[in-house]
Amino acid sequence: MNKILRVTLAFLVVGLVVWGCAKETGPMKIGLMGPMTGPWASEGQEMKQVVDLLAEDLNAKGGVLGRKVEVVSEDDGGDPKTAALAAQKLVTQKVVAVIGTYGSSITEASQNIYNEAKIPQIANGSTAIRLTEKGLKYFFRTCPRDDEQAKVGAQYIQSMGYKKLAILHDNTTYAKGLADETKGLVEKAGVEIVFFDALTPGEKDYTAILTKMKAANPDAVFFTGYYPEGGLLLNQKKGMNWPVPFIGGDATNNPDLVKIAGAEAAEGFAFLSPPLPKDLPTPEAKAFLESFTKKYGKAPASIYSVLAGDGFRVLIAAIQATKTTEADKVGEYLHTQLKDFAGLTGKLSFNAKGDRVGEVYKVYKVNAPGEFILQP
Amino acid sequence: MEIFLQQLTNGLAVGSIYALIALGYTMVYGVLKLINFAHGDLFTIGSYLGLTLLTSLALTGRLGALAGILCLALMVMGLVALIGALLERTAYRPLRQSPRLSAVVSALGASIFLQNAVMLIYGARFQVYPHDILPKMPLGLFGLYIPLVKVLVLVAALVMMMALYLFIQKTKLGTAIRAAAIDQGAARLMGIDVDRVILIVFLIGPALGGAAGLMVGLLYGQINFTMGWVYGLKAFTAAILGGIGNIPGAMVGGILLGVIEAMGAAYLSIAWKDAIAFCVLIVILIVRPTGLLGERVAEKV
Repeated sequence: MNKILRVTLAFLVVGLVVWGCAKETGPMKIGLMGPMTGPWASEGQEMKQVVDLLAEDLNAKGGVLGRKVEVVSEDDGGDPKTAALAAQKLVTQKVVAVIGTYGSSITEASQNIYNEAKIPQIANGSTAIRLTEKGLKYFFRTCPRDDEQAKVGAQYIQSMGYKKLAILHDNTTYAKGLADETKGLVEKAGVEIVFFDALTPGEKDYTAILTKMKAANPDAVFFTGYYPEGGLLLNQKKGMNWPVPFIGGDATNNPDLVKIAGAEAAEGFAFLSPPLPKDLPTPEAKAFLESFTKKYGKAPASIYSVLAGDGFRVLIAAIQATKTTEADKVGEYLHTQLKDFAGLTGKLSFNAKGDRVGEVYKVYKVNAPGEFILQP
Repeated sequence: MEIFLQQLTNGLAVGSIYALIALGYTMVYGVLKLINFAHGDLFTIGSYLGLTLLTSLALTGRLGALAGILCLALMVMGLVALIGALLERTAYRPLRQSPRLSAVVSALGASIFLQNAVMLIYGARFQVYPHDILPKMPLGLFGLYIPLVKVLVLVAALVMMMALYLFIQKTKLGTAIRAAAIDQGAARLMGIDVDRVILIVFLIGPALGGAAGLMVGLLYGQINFTMGWVYGLKAFTAAILGGIGNIPGAMVGGILLGVIEAMGAAYLSIAWKDAIAFCVLIVILIVRPTGLLGERVAEKV
C-alpha cells in the first residue's frame, strides 16, 4: 500500500514538474481589464490598442524571458459588478499580472480579488486616494493621485480669483474623493463653497441641477465627474445662456467631451490632467506615438491608454530584471528597485504604497475649434 | 418664483418624454396584461435610427429644419412601429396561450437581444447627433431661458398625446382597443379581431417610443445603447404612478414624475432626486393602489 502510494506520488510530482515546465515555455499571459463597453468604452478600446501594440513589438523582439506574451483582455463595462466577474475570469486564466483599469470605483471592486490571488495589478486611470491606502501589496498605479490633482485644481481656482465656487460630483469613488479634497483645500484659502452636490450619471437631462446651481450664483463650477456627463452639462449650460466658467477634473479629459458638448459649448472649458499624449516630451513617447499612428491610423487620444502602456512596460521591465513572474519578487522590484524608468509619460518610480512618484498635473483649456491646449 | 418656473419647464420637458414612453407600456399592459420590457430598447432604436437617417439622408438640408425633422420623425416612427410589430409576432404571439410568466421572460429576452443588437451594429461608444440641426438659441421669456428645442419637444409630445387620446376615444378602432382591454373574450364575441387590435397596439406604442428616442437625440445630442434602460425604468414608473393600463394616466404620470424629479432636485437634494421620486410613488400607491387614474385592480404579473 505504502509502495503504491509512493509510486503514485512520484508520478504525480514528475507529472507536475513536466506540466509546469511545459507551461513555462508557453506564452506568458498578461491580463488587461478595461471598459471595452459602457459609458467609458472609448477609454477601454484605446487601452487595448496600446497594450496590444506594445505586446506585438515585444514579441517581435523575442518576448520576455524567452517566452511570447499573450494579452488576455476582459471587459469591465465601467461597472463594479462586471469588474468583479472580469477579475475572477482573469484569475482563473492564470495571468501573471493585470493592467487596468480606468475608473476608481471599478478598480476598487477588483483590487482584493487580485490581491488575494497574488496577482500584481497596475491601474492606469484610477486616481482615488484610498486605493493605495489599504496596504495592498500587489497594487500599483501609473497615474497620479487625487490629492495632487486637488492641489493643482485649488491653485488654479485661486489664481483665477474665483471667490464663490460650486462643486458638483457624481458619487463615484473618484469624483466624490476629488470633490471633498478640493473643497477642503479651497475653503482653507478663503473661497466660499456655495454649492456642493452630486448628479446621477447616465441621465440625459441635467437642467434641473444647472438651474439650482445658477441660483447659488457661483463665480465658477468645478465638476469632478466623467466626460459623458461633462459634455452634457456644457451643452445644457449653453442652452440656458449661462456663461459661468466650468472647470473639470481629469476624468473629463477625453475628446468625446467636445463631441458631446459641441465645440461652441465646450470652448473655454478648463480641466486638470496629466499631459496629453500629444504634449509628451520624451523620445520614447514620440517613437511610440509614431508607431501607434502607423498601426491604427490616428494618434492615441487619451493619456490613460498611454498610462496603461506604461503599466505594461514597467511590468515587463520588472519581469526581465527579476527573471521570474512570481508576484512577490516582481512587486518587491517595482516598489523598491525600479527608479526613474523611462516611461512613455516621463520618469516612473513607485513608492512603498504603489503610487507613482513625482508626476505633475497640468491645466488644459478647450479652444474654439475644440482642441485641448496646454496652459502655461 | 423665476427659479420655480424654470424648474417647472425643466420638469415638463423631461416628463413629456417619460409620458410618451409610458404610453407604450400602458397600452400593451392594458390589452395584454404584459409588461413589455423591450419597450425601452425600442426607444433606443428610435434614437439610433433617427441619427442614421438624419446623417445619411440630410433631410434637414434639403427640406429645411422643421419640415426635415417632421419627415424624419415620421420615418423613424414608421420603422420603429414595424420593429414593434415584428417583435409582437416573434416574441409574444407564439406565447399568447402560455402562462403569463413565459411572456414576461420572453420580453426580458427580447430586451437583451435588442440592446445587444444595437451595440453590435452601432458600437459601444456614445453616438452624437449633429449639433447644428436645430437652432440652439435660448428663447427669452419673462426672464426665463428655455432652449427652443425644448419647447418644440414639449409641443410635439403634447400633440402626439392628444392625437392618441382622440384616436382611442373617438374612432371605431379606438373603441375596439378599449373593448379588447376590458375583456378579450367578450370583444372577440362581438366580432372584434383581437389579434389585429394587439398588432395596432404594438404599432402605436413603439411608434411613440421611437419618437421619444428621436426627441432625446435632438434635445440632448448624446445617445448610447444602454439609455433605454434608464428611460424605460422611469417611464414604467410613470405608467404605474398614473395607473397602468390607463392612457391618460400614463400622460399624467409621466409629466408628474418629471416635475417631481425637477422639484426634488431644486428644493431638496439633487443626489436624492430619484429617491424622492420613488418615495412619492410609494406614497401614492399606498393611498391609491391602482395609481392616480387607474380604475381596475392591477393584476399580478
